[in-house]
Amino acid sequence: MLTPLAMKHVRLLVLTEDLPRAALTLAETESFHPDTREPGDPRLSGTPGHEYRETFQQARTRLAKIGNLIPLVEEVDLTEIRVVDAAELAQVNDWLGRIWRETSRYEEEYRRLEDEEGFVAEQQAAVANFAELRVDLRLLRSHTRFLEIHVGLVPRENLRQLQGAVGLADHMLFNYTTRGEQAHVVIVGPRGHGETELASVLSSAGFQSLPIPQELDRSPDEIAESLARRRAEIEIERQTLGHRLQEWAASFAERLTEAERTLRLAEPFVTLDPSVRNAGHLACLAGWVPARAVADLRRRLDDSLTQPFQLDSRDPLADERPLVPSVPVRSRLLQPFALLVKQYGIPQYGEVDPVPLFAVTFLLMFGTMFGDVGQGAVIAILAWIFRKPLGRLYLFGVLAGLSSMAFGFLFGSVFGSKELLPALWMSPLKDPILMLQLALGWGILFIVLACLLAIYNRLVVKNLAGALFGHHGLVNLVFYLALIWGAVNLATAGAFGWWPATLGLMALGGLAWYNWRHLDAPVAERVLVVFIETLETVIGYASNTLSFLRVAAFSLNHVALSIAIFTLAGMMGTFGHLVTLILGNIFVIVLEGGIVMIQVMRLQYYEGFSRYFSGNGHEFAPLRLRRAAPGR
Amino acid sequence: MSDTSRQAYLHTRVSVMSTRLFNPGEFDALMRLDLAGMAERLGFRALLDEQLSTRGKSRAVEQTLIQTLLTELTILTRPMLAPERALVLAWGRRYALFNLKTLIRGKLHNLTAREIEDQLYELPPRLGLADQALLRTENVLELLRALEDGPHAPIARQAREVYEQRREPFALEAAIDQRYYAGLARHVMRLQDDHVEPLRDLVGALLDRVDLMWLLRFRFTYRLSPSETFFWLVPSFRLMHRERLLELVDLESIERVREALPTALADSLDGADTLIELQRHLGAHFARRARHILRRSRSGVARALAYLMLREMDLMTLFALIQGRLLGLQPDLVVAAVELSEPASNPAGRAAAA
Repeated sequence: MLTPLAMKHVRLLVLTEDLPRAALTLAETESFHPDTREPGDPRLSGTPGHEYRETFQQARTRLAKIGNLIPLVEEVDLTEIRVVDAAELAQVNDWLGRIWRETSRYEEEYRRLEDEEGFVAEQQAAVANFAELRVDLRLLRSHTRFLEIHVGLVPRENLRQLQGAVGLADHMLFNYTTRGEQAHVVIVGPRGHGETELASVLSSAGFQSLPIPQELDRSPDEIAESLARRRAEIEIERQTLGHRLQEWAASFAERLTEAERTLRLAEPFVTLDPSVRNAGHLACLAGWVPARAVADLRRRLDDSLTQPFQLDSRDPLADERPLVPSVPVRSRLLQPFALLVKQYGIPQYGEVDPVPLFAVTFLLMFGTMFGDVGQGAVIAILAWIFRKPLGRLYLFGVLAGLSSMAFGFLFGSVFGSKELLPALWMSPLKDPILMLQLALGWGILFIVLACLLAIYNRLVVKNLAGALFGHHGLVNLVFYLALIWGAVNLATAGAFGWWPATLGLMALGGLAWYNWRHLDAPVAERVLVVFIETLETVIGYASNTLSFLRVAAFSLNHVALSIAIFTLAGMMGTFGHLVTLILGNIFVIVLEGGIVMIQVMRLQYYEGFSRYFSGNGHEFAPLRLRRAAPGR
Repeated sequence: MSDTSRQAYLHTRVSVMSTRLFNPGEFDALMRLDLAGMAERLGFRALLDEQLSTRGKSRAVEQTLIQTLLTELTILTRPMLAPERALVLAWGRRYALFNLKTLIRGKLHNLTAREIEDQLYELPPRLGLADQALLRTENVLELLRALEDGPHAPIARQAREVYEQRREPFALEAAIDQRYYAGLARHVMRLQDDHVEPLRDLVGALLDRVDLMWLLRFRFTYRLSPSETFFWLVPSFRLMHRERLLELVDLESIERVREALPTALADSLDGADTLIELQRHLGAHFARRARHILRRSRSGVARALAYLMLREMDLMTLFALIQGRLLGLQPDLVVAAVELSEPASNPAGRAAAA
């Protein structure tokens, strides 16, 4: 469970014409993670799937754009698997192109209606403005014998520049109101003078003419009504357009689904494209496959490929380890913990998978620090109720709640009360010193375990020097154990002891020597760096161990908070007592629960992961047929 | 980091980087080298790669030079406050606009996504466009609509409205350029304290140069009306301010415009008879101003921007030099190209290297 799933590097040689079929087969097995490195043989330099990919991407974009207006199916039936050749893909792409051109007309029509609606809103604003002007607005409506008048809208950012420009064409611009990004303007100038010049400038400035309503001088209410009517008409036009679009879309709905299916079937080859190289009719692709799946892969290729092929597999080379993907944890119970580990990084191939260890230690520490039957049950029930929005994380909440409940039974705590349930062990406040000692012991065990894992992880990748002298390597561990030995001696016998002191100093000397040898700097700088690093080792291990005292501190804190709540509640009447207990428990669950969560994560990430987990790996992402819609 | 330490850090960075600017003598020395010598001196191995075509070599060199500039830009913006960084990044986004123009031209000429992609600059994400999504659009309007959802929305909206009304590439590109320079001027206006004056001076000098060239081209080469010419210009903080532009666009000949120019600008144009020579003189005039700010300004941001502008001029000169060598042009033509070098926003110009 802790060791990674063994992987093999496979190389598949097929005839170029068989590539789409091979891609589909690989996708069906869901065990092939493409290796995008260039093949070693310089003759394999062609990229046979490039044109296919270009066509696919254009078709996929078109389908997505169509999907913005016409709902597409989310799940596609892929029980019947078939090869999509370049000709079929091109045909689908062309058809989608035609459909998109038609759909884009609907889109433009929607935009036109939107613009018109905005324009009518501007007209309504203009009418409200005109109604307050004390001028004969009929004059604005038509061109007079001597004056040319333009009333309209212009983007606000163009206003000042347009003002200067119309001035050069012997016109004047008056900005009578501004709404949002649009300025309402009246432009006036002599008739027959600079008209063409003005028209060109107005067009460049994005000027939109606002028609002055005929009835303006007679009945402003009627105009307002007429504009409101126009807005209602626009809404009806929009609905009609929607119906028309729906009817039109219904006529090719099946073909659209078929296009979606074709693209899903074509996708594996496109995904594979960067990993495929060819030389004439011979194509080569490489990838990583779980060792136990290689035989099945060979059998499936045997069944599906009509032309001869060659499948070679080998163990990953030492220098390839950083490239080998790690297969994630599949256990449903561990999934939420894997998500949290992923926040730190993905285990490198060969490294111990930290998820099971993380899950166990997380639950132990959370339960210890937040042990309460009632509050734990609330967390577990809430996580269960909100399982849909929480997704896979709900199990995390349920398990944390159950752990809290289990420790609640040990501590005899129910919603902070010590009287409702007899403790299976004892309340933390009964013997705080014992609690602190246990926390310290737990910390030592945790750090030793982390160091052992760090040593193992380095040995696995043949990093012997790192395993011995690296951070948290064997020499560090010897020093740490000597330090603990000495500390125990000091606590029990009053003296550090010669043996642990000698062992510790020797280990420190070894580390200093190693650092000195691997430092390329002037002597003074080397002395300084080695001194500081050695000191940091001593201080680091001591402080890291003491850091685990928080496990006991929070369990004591939890009891203390409960006592405070009950003391406050005791000062109240019956109703106040109940309210204080409820609010106090909510406060503890939300605030203390949150803090405990952060503290446990901190211990895991800082005291654990930083010691043994590089997080530099990458996740196994096999080629597969996507059955759900993109982004789902 | 306190303001004093940020400024000190920025000044030091700029001073160290400014040693990378070329002296005129260095260009002369480079012009005497053959292609192999240049490749060795500048460390451009791509120039000697036999498998690359002339176009491929040219593109590799251009891309390397732009990467160099944008990497320096990123380094210099690190210690800046948000409004200062926004200004410098806004200046750097000119390359995204070159890409946008390339995309628009490609769509107008029905080029394939691959053909357009070959001409695009590779830019870091925060300075670039969502090129792949834009490449997949199927016409100019769709392209501009797609752009309206991103940080280039104001430019795209204006460009789309102009294109919908006029359907001509000139208006579209003029709208893009105008929005770009107007945006740059707006960023300067948002700044406060010690930076405002030197940045108004620097960006003003840039706008002086741009405005005069646009004015002469629009008015006397494209024969636009005074009002339309004025509309496309962006008033400067320095010499080519709004009132002067209103006065100049109304004049009827290049000579009258030159006579009406302020002395500082008119003097720098002495001896220039053609538009190309005027462009060269204006470039030199701007470079003098930028160097002055780089040497004397107390504002680290103004110095950083001045450095980047000068560095860009240097790198583009270098590119013109290398392109001249790649194409086997006569030395006098290379000299002319070097003196006029600006970032290539014109794919036809870049494609000429093919």
